[in-house]
Amino acid sequence: MSHSTQNETPDVFENLRLELRRGCLILAVLAALRTEQYGYTLRKVLAEHGMEIDEGTLYPLLRRLESQGLLKSQWREEDKRNKRFYRLSPEGKQILKQLLAEWQGIDSSLDEILKEPSHGTS
Amino acid sequence: MELLDRYLHAIKFWLPRAQQDDIVAELSEDIRSQLEEYETKVGRKLNDFDIASILKERGRPLVVANRYLPQQYLIGPVLFPVYRFVLAIVALCYLVPWLLVRFGLIVFDPSYRSVRSVLADVARAWPSFWTVAFFAIGAVTTVFAVLEKVQSKKKFLDDWDPLKLPPVRDPNRIPRLNSIIELAANFVFAVWWVTGAWSQIIFDRAGVRVVLTPAWRGFFWAFLALALGNIALASVNLRRRHWTLLNAGIRMVLDSAGAIAFCWLLKAHLVSEVISPQLSPAHAAEISNAINTYMAKSFPFAVMACVLIVALSGIPRLVRLRTGRTRLIQSLALL
Repeated sequence: MSHSTQNETPDVFENLRLELRRGCLILAVLAALRTEQYGYTLRKVLAEHGMEIDEGTLYPLLRRLESQGLLKSQWREEDKRNKRFYRLSPEGKQILKQLLAEWQGIDSSLDEILKEPSHGTS
Repeated sequence: MELLDRYLHAIKFWLPRAQQDDIVAELSEDIRSQLEEYETKVGRKLNDFDIASILKERGRPLVVANRYLPQQYLIGPVLFPVYRFVLAIVALCYLVPWLLVRFGLIVFDPSYRSVRSVLADVARAWPSFWTVAFFAIGAVTTVFAVLEKVQSKKKFLDDWDPLKLPPVRDPNRIPRLNSIIELAANFVFAVWWVTGAWSQIIFDRAGVRVVLTPAWRGFFWAFLALALGNIALASVNLRRRHWTLLNAGIRMVLDSAGAIAFCWLLKAHLVSEVISPQLSPAHAAEISNAINTYMAKSFPFAVMACVLIVALSGIPRLVRLRTGRTRLIQSLALL
């Protein structure tokens, strides 16, 4: 019984980790797009800051955020190649501000909960 | 870059027409940037194997394209458990009787017992079995797909009233109405049985008579005793409205005895003679033989139906009561 639990734990952790990161990724993408970037460089910037995201997730996410009016995009030539540049729209800036406040609220709530002595161990 | 073009073309096929070119252009740019970076890193031009390994990492074209599509499903997560439940019930109602009839034929019909006749019957029934199964599953799926469409637009499942939830049913409680119906039905049966079924001449109208063998009297008493037993049990249940091991055991015994008597009756060749002025004695004998034969032939089906009914109604109740009793004893032991 304990053997199977040990085997399942990495999967459980991985699933929970991905679930936790999913919401944070949107925040990270919006934050990174305060300066204009195209998909490939955006991915690299996020990876450099420890928020790795695969292209299969990033590009559909960018499209969704653009369709929601949070991003603006533009095709432009750079280094002799056409690239699509994204940047935060005014609505996106507003939403990012609200989301960051929400994020900080969650963070401080979690801190408060963690400061309380654990009920199970006392 | 031919390999990359092939990859992008395969992705494009699955994308929505209006966005195909835009998405493929952006993906193409992203992959080319990655390939260039990799070329710089290894210091040589990439061959097809290098490109293939990078494309493989990105995923199958259908999977990549799928990420750009809206989430689509025929039956969504809300209705899916209900759909699965209905499918299981349909399968049970269709498959179990089908198997039971074949099993009954093998057990009770000697002419069916050879492997050859079983295989011949299965081969005969096979196409119609699958046709009916296909249509049953298809019909259920279609109904649920339509419900899903309606639900996604009208959100009818969101409109519900907690006050209309059904009350929690105590499976060991005997509804008063059931006992009253059982009492009345058995009483009517017993009166009719005593007044109309005592004689061995079971039918006598317009000159036509159906005469039964003396064995009929045995069945007469057996069915009368069962009816009286059912009346007694229903009367007790009307006053004590909970199943206990005792009354559930008696219920099981009465039901089993009724089933055995009924199945036995079918095999007993009870019709002694059929008399009619319009029939020659030989023809009348043929008719009485035919009635006995058809009754005997229905024996396997009757056995299977009776086993199914008695097992489904009686056994779960007894098991439930027994486990409940064990739990009660265990809880008392803990006190």
